[in-house]
Amino acid sequence: MKAPAQSAAARALPVAWVGGLLGLTVALALASLLVGSTDVPTSLRWLLSPDAQSDTVLWQIRLPRTLGAWCAGALLGLGGAIAQGLFRNPLAEPYLLGTASGAALGVTLCLLAADSSFMGIAFWGKLGLTSSAFVGACGAMALTLSLSRGVLQTANLLLAGVVVSFLLSAVTGLVLLSSPNAWRALQGFLLGTTGFLGWSSVLLLATALTACLIPAVLLSRGLDALTLGEDTAQSLGLSLPTLRIAMLGILSLATAAAVGQVGVVGFIGLIAPHLVRQALHVNHRRLLIAAPLVGGVLLQAADLVSRAVWRPIDLPVGSVTACLGGAYLVALLWRRARDV
Amino acid sequence: MSEPGDIALGCHGLSAGYGARTVLQRIDLAIPAGTWTAVIGPNGCGKSTLLRALAGLLPARAGEVRLLGRRLTDWPRRDRARRLSWLAQGAPATELTAGECVALGRFAHTGWLSSRAAADEAAVERAMRATGALDWANRRLSTLSGGERQRVHIARALAVEADVLLLDEPTAHLDPPHQEDVARLLRAQAREREVAVVSAIHDLSLALAADRVIVLGSEGVIGQGTVQDALAGDWLSRAFSTRVDIVSSDGVPLWRPRIG
Repeated sequence: MKAPAQSAAARALPVAWVGGLLGLTVALALASLLVGSTDVPTSLRWLLSPDAQSDTVLWQIRLPRTLGAWCAGALLGLGGAIAQGLFRNPLAEPYLLGTASGAALGVTLCLLAADSSFMGIAFWGKLGLTSSAFVGACGAMALTLSLSRGVLQTANLLLAGVVVSFLLSAVTGLVLLSSPNAWRALQGFLLGTTGFLGWSSVLLLATALTACLIPAVLLSRGLDALTLGEDTAQSLGLSLPTLRIAMLGILSLATAAAVGQVGVVGFIGLIAPHLVRQALHVNHRRLLIAAPLVGGVLLQAADLVSRAVWRPIDLPVGSVTACLGGAYLVALLWRRARDV
Repeated sequence: MSEPGDIALGCHGLSAGYGARTVLQRIDLAIPAGTWTAVIGPNGCGKSTLLRALAGLLPARAGEVRLLGRRLTDWPRRDRARRLSWLAQGAPATELTAGECVALGRFAHTGWLSSRAAADEAAVERAMRATGALDWANRRLSTLSGGERQRVHIARALAVEADVLLLDEPTAHLDPPHQEDVARLLRAQAREREVAVVSAIHDLSLALAADRVIVLGSEGVIGQGTVQDALAGDWLSRAFSTRVDIVSSDGVPLWRPRIG
C-alpha cells in the first residue's frame, strides 16, 4: 500500500537532524569546558594529568554546568512545544503563560521558609525546591486559565499569562523586600542563572526530563487530534479533560524542574519549537522529541555566551536569552505582519 | 452493523442551546439505518446545533439522544466514537499530512500508541481512495486548497467506518462536480454499508437528492420524512418563510431561483 507506508517512514525523525543536534551538544559541552572566569591550560598532556584546581573547575563546575544547562533548556523546549500544541497558540510558552513566575515564587518562598540560600544545597534540598516550584507553577497555570476563562479564548490566554507573570513577580519582589539577605542571594536566580548547577542538579534535571518526555510523547496523538478542533478531537473518542490535565501537569513539572535549578529563563520554550517547525514537517510526536533537543542546544549556547562576552564576569543567562528571545519574538511578529 | 430500516439514531424531547439561548426545543427525530438524510433550513435555525447535540458534543438540556437503541450518554467513550463519526464545519489547515489526518479517524480503534493494524491501514486507504485524496497522502493540509482539504477531512470521517455518519456542510468549499462526488459518496455509504448518514447541506438541489430530509425553521422542526413528503407539504417555503420553487426535471426535484 503506497501512501500510508510512505508516511510511516516519514514519521521517524530524520537521523541526520538528531545526529547533528547531538553533535552540536557535544561540541558546545567541549567549548564550555574551556571557557570561564578561570583560565585552564588546554594541552592534551594537561587533560590527562590535570592539577587539583583545574580538575575541580572542569569536572565539578563546568561540566555539570553545561550538562545542566542542556537539560534545563530541553525541559523548557518541551514545555513550549506542549503549551503551543495544547493551547493551539504559536506564542504560548512557560515564560509568557506565567508558569515560570509561579515556579519562581514557589522557590523563593521555599528558600525563605528554610532560611537557606542556593549555595551548597544538597540533592534533597533541590528536590524540595523543585516541589515547591511545581506547586507554584500549577497555581500560576490555574490562575492564568481562570483569568482567560478556560482555554477557549486563546487570544486572551497570553494576555492573562503576562498579567499573572507580572503579578507573581511583584509578589516575589515584595516577599524579598522583607528580607534583604535573601534578596541578594536570589537576585541572580530571578534573572536566570546557570551558576548554581552542580551534579545533583544534573541528576534532578535529567530525571525530570525523562519523567516529562515519556508521557508527553505517548500522549502526542492527542495534540495532533486537537489541531483538527476540539469538537473533532472529542468525536474521535479522546477525553479532552484527561488530555488537558495530563499535559498541564507535564508542562508544570517541566517548568518547575527547570526554574528550580536555573531560575527564570525566558523564550527558550518559544524559540525551540519554532525553529523545529521551520526546518521540518512535524506532527507532535516529532515536535516533542525535537524541541527538547533544540532547546538544550540553545540554553547551552546561551550559557557559553554569558560566560564568554564579559570575562571574567558571568552574565545571568536569563538576560542573554531575554535579549536573543526578545529579538526573535519581534522578528516573528514583524514577519507575520508582513505576510498578512 | 444495524439492519436497514432500524432506527440508528434518534432523539426524544431534545432541547439544546448555548448560554441563555435555547436553540432547539423538545425535538423528536428518528433516523433509519441505510438512508441518507439531509438537514435543511435557513441560516441560524440550528442545523449545526442539532448535529452537535446528536453527536453528543453539546450536552442535551432536556430529553435524550439514542444511538443504536442505547442512550448516547451510556456509551463508553471509545465505543461510541467507533459507531458515530462526525465532520465539523470548516476544514482546518494543520501541519499534519493528509495521511496522518485521516489516520486520526482510527483513533477510537487504535488508541494512544497508534499501533495500527492491517485493518486500520486498509480503512484509511479505502477512505482516502473514496474521496480521491490518496494522491496527497504525504502533503501537509496547510499546502492543500480548501476543496482538497475538505475531501481529506471527509476521508477522516469515513475512515472511522461508523454506523452513523454526521456531517456539517460536507460540500462547502467544493466545486459543483466535487459536490456531486460527495453526494454520491454519502448515498453509497447509506446504500452499500447500511450507514445512517445525516448531513446539513445548503444547496437545495443537492439536499433534495437525499433519501430523507429534516426541515428546520426558526420555530423548530417543520417536518421529517421522505423528499416526496417535503415537497407535498411545501415544508421548504415554510422553513425559509418565503416561496421556494421546486421544479421537476425528468423526475429529479430541482430548486429554481426566482430572479426575473
